[in-house]
Amino acid sequence: MDWAEKYRPMHLADILGNGSAVRQIVDWAKTWTPDSRPLLFTGKPGIGKTSAALALARDMGWEVLELNASDARTKAIIERVAGNSSTTTSLFGAGRKLIIIDEVDNLEGNADRGGARAIADILKEAKQPIVLIANDAYGVSDSIRRLCDPVPFRAIGVSTLQKRMKEICRLEDIACGEDALSAIAESSAGDMRTAVNMLFGSSTGKTSISAGDINTAQKDERATIFDLVGGVFAGAPDRELQKLSFECDEKPDSVMQWIEESIPLMHDPKRRIRAYGRISRADVYLGRTMRRQYFTLWRYATSMMTLGVASENAGAGFRTRIMPPSRWKRMSTAKKQKTVRRTLAASLAEGYSIPESQIQSQYLDLLSRFAEKDPAAFCERHNLDVDQMTIILHDKAAAAAAVKTVQQAAKERDMKVKKMAASKKAEMRKLEEQLEALRMQEPPVPETPPAAEELPLEEPPDEKKLAPKQATLDFF
Amino acid sequence: MDVSPEIWIEKYRPKNLAEVVGQQDVVERLRSYVATKALPHLLFTGSAGVGKTTCAVALAREMFGDTWNMNFRELNASDERGIDVVRNQIKQFARTAPLGDATFKILFLDEADALTQDAQAALRRTMENYAETCRFILSCNYSSKIIDPIQSRCAIYRFRPLTDEAISEEIGRIAKKEGITVDEGAYVAITYVSLGDMRKAINALQGAAIVSDHVTAENIYAITSNAKPQEITDLLSRCLEGDFETAERMLHGLMYDKGIAPNELLNQLYREISRSETLDRRLKVDLIDHLGEADFRMSEGADTDIQMDALLARIVRAGMN
Repeated sequence: MDWAEKYRPMHLADILGNGSAVRQIVDWAKTWTPDSRPLLFTGKPGIGKTSAALALARDMGWEVLELNASDARTKAIIERVAGNSSTTTSLFGAGRKLIIIDEVDNLEGNADRGGARAIADILKEAKQPIVLIANDAYGVSDSIRRLCDPVPFRAIGVSTLQKRMKEICRLEDIACGEDALSAIAESSAGDMRTAVNMLFGSSTGKTSISAGDINTAQKDERATIFDLVGGVFAGAPDRELQKLSFECDEKPDSVMQWIEESIPLMHDPKRRIRAYGRISRADVYLGRTMRRQYFTLWRYATSMMTLGVASENAGAGFRTRIMPPSRWKRMSTAKKQKTVRRTLAASLAEGYSIPESQIQSQYLDLLSRFAEKDPAAFCERHNLDVDQMTIILHDKAAAAAAVKTVQQAAKERDMKVKKMAASKKAEMRKLEEQLEALRMQEPPVPETPPAAEELPLEEPPDEKKLAPKQATLDFF
Repeated sequence: MDVSPEIWIEKYRPKNLAEVVGQQDVVERLRSYVATKALPHLLFTGSAGVGKTTCAVALAREMFGDTWNMNFRELNASDERGIDVVRNQIKQFARTAPLGDATFKILFLDEADALTQDAQAALRRTMENYAETCRFILSCNYSSKIIDPIQSRCAIYRFRPLTDEAISEEIGRIAKKEGITVDEGAYVAITYVSLGDMRKAINALQGAAIVSDHVTAENIYAITSNAKPQEITDLLSRCLEGDFETAERMLHGLMYDKGIAPNELLNQLYREISRSETLDRRLKVDLIDHLGEADFRMSEGADTDIQMDALLARIVRAGMN
């Protein structure tokens, strides 16, 4: 059996390096009621999301229903499988069923048409605990995300990984030096599964492993993007650059962005503009490669961005500080903003029966005015969140205040409803008691016509007795 | 006498791991899996013709012995790339029990980087759910096209392009078995045209052997429609010396007398230029840019005669600066 499965943590207590996430999960599970919100686990592969969900079910003694991307997830299937079990309980006992929907960030494909909406519908109606799992929180459709409480999982620290590797070595009776362990821990980049696989791969058929065994087994012999960008700006010889760009496993467009990041730092304006000339040629070739799907052109792009930029920089004595492309950060912010804008437009479009595109292009300013007059009412009417209100009001604090007001009001209303229900119940009990007392006092006299004022006493209890009973049925 | 000639690639495909040439590191690890009868999921990456499929088949043969054919299945992902292939074909194979005394089966998924993102996402849980009965070996040219969750589930093996020595060794062995003679120069020619791709090398050898039992460099270049490296070097130096007329005559000789395709010429020119150790670096980058522009224009349907001549003219001018 492969070790990644063999050493999958069985209990939540065994999940490594994500203490706060585990605590959040445990609290959620212990206090779970049908009104609890589902959880959304997010994080890189191999850091324990699926394991945590399965361990949770085991620890709580819940049954598991798993739905992942290898099953077809069209609307119909999701509703059939999860829909049923989410609104009904197990036939036997009070046992709960944990529904795990894995890979919710991979729902948008054609084959899963309607899947996102079906999941959102299930989340709203579910009477069972639900955990959703995704690598990328932004890949999850907005309608799902807003119904869940996020539980971010983080990459596992080197020392934690190392400790775990040591334990596995002990269990498998393998002698493993510290150097080998740290080599594994470092090159697996916080991914427990990769680390375990690496250990498995390097130790197969051996009783002891050293750092040397690790390097031949795994991918760290390849060049990193840092080697490549460093080589370009440090004036490495052509042959070296070609080798580095061959070995480096980044996509050409991201290599280009890494190199681009350092060009503005070149001191000599003439060299700088020529370097930009080279990299923009590289860009042109990449664009042509992709547009025409003519992959021979790739090599020219690679040459222009590596050799080209290096040749313009030769002899300038310039050493760069290699940084990840800053545009990545900008892009992810922009991506979020775009999503917020889109969902905002969608809500408003529904509220005003105006097409989304027109809301975006023409009505946003006008609606901002509306909102400024009474932010809370606007917020409530269209069911907006803080991010969306911020766009409307251009003021984060005001947006937060408006949303808070709405939530407060909703809470109070909720309390009032509950109070009313409680007082009605009490009133009803009193009436019943009175009725009972009356019956005890006067034994039934069939011939006597009922007293006029007795009627209203008798009618309402009957009606009300039924109502709560139905509610209880629904509940269980 | 053979009735129909067999393709040498298949005829001489190694039957066991020990016969695989040029991937010592990889082979050594794979053999230890056989020794312990344990196997994680594997991801083979590397360019074409470096032994990915060969290693997968050889591994299965050694692992399963006589029943290998029943417990090993090869699927080419580039034929069917959608999510349905994962949900139907792959799951179907993965979930049935292994035959004979094998404890698991192996599914070899060739060109896995051709699978759509959706299909890859679906694959990752299938790999985990059926890990008891089925191990996956994925092969691809670029591991960056495989989604991270899958990479995280596999032990990754990087196949390097084969060295010239490894290719010569294999060519020598085949030549001996086939009873053909191969010139010293022909070995050089074969390694030159094959670029570390064993499939290309063996095909070139077989192609040349059909013409004559005595394989020469001349034959190899002709059969693979390559110009001789020396011809390319000469063409380039004529241009850089400013002798456009001679260069143009040489070019036409290559294109029309020898029938070498213009984009093949570009490939060879690119190789010559980018590997050159004598050219000035700026000049080199300029030349590569000119090549790329010509390549692009011809791919868009521009006239090859005009573009190739214009390319020579540009190289001449670049050499004058």
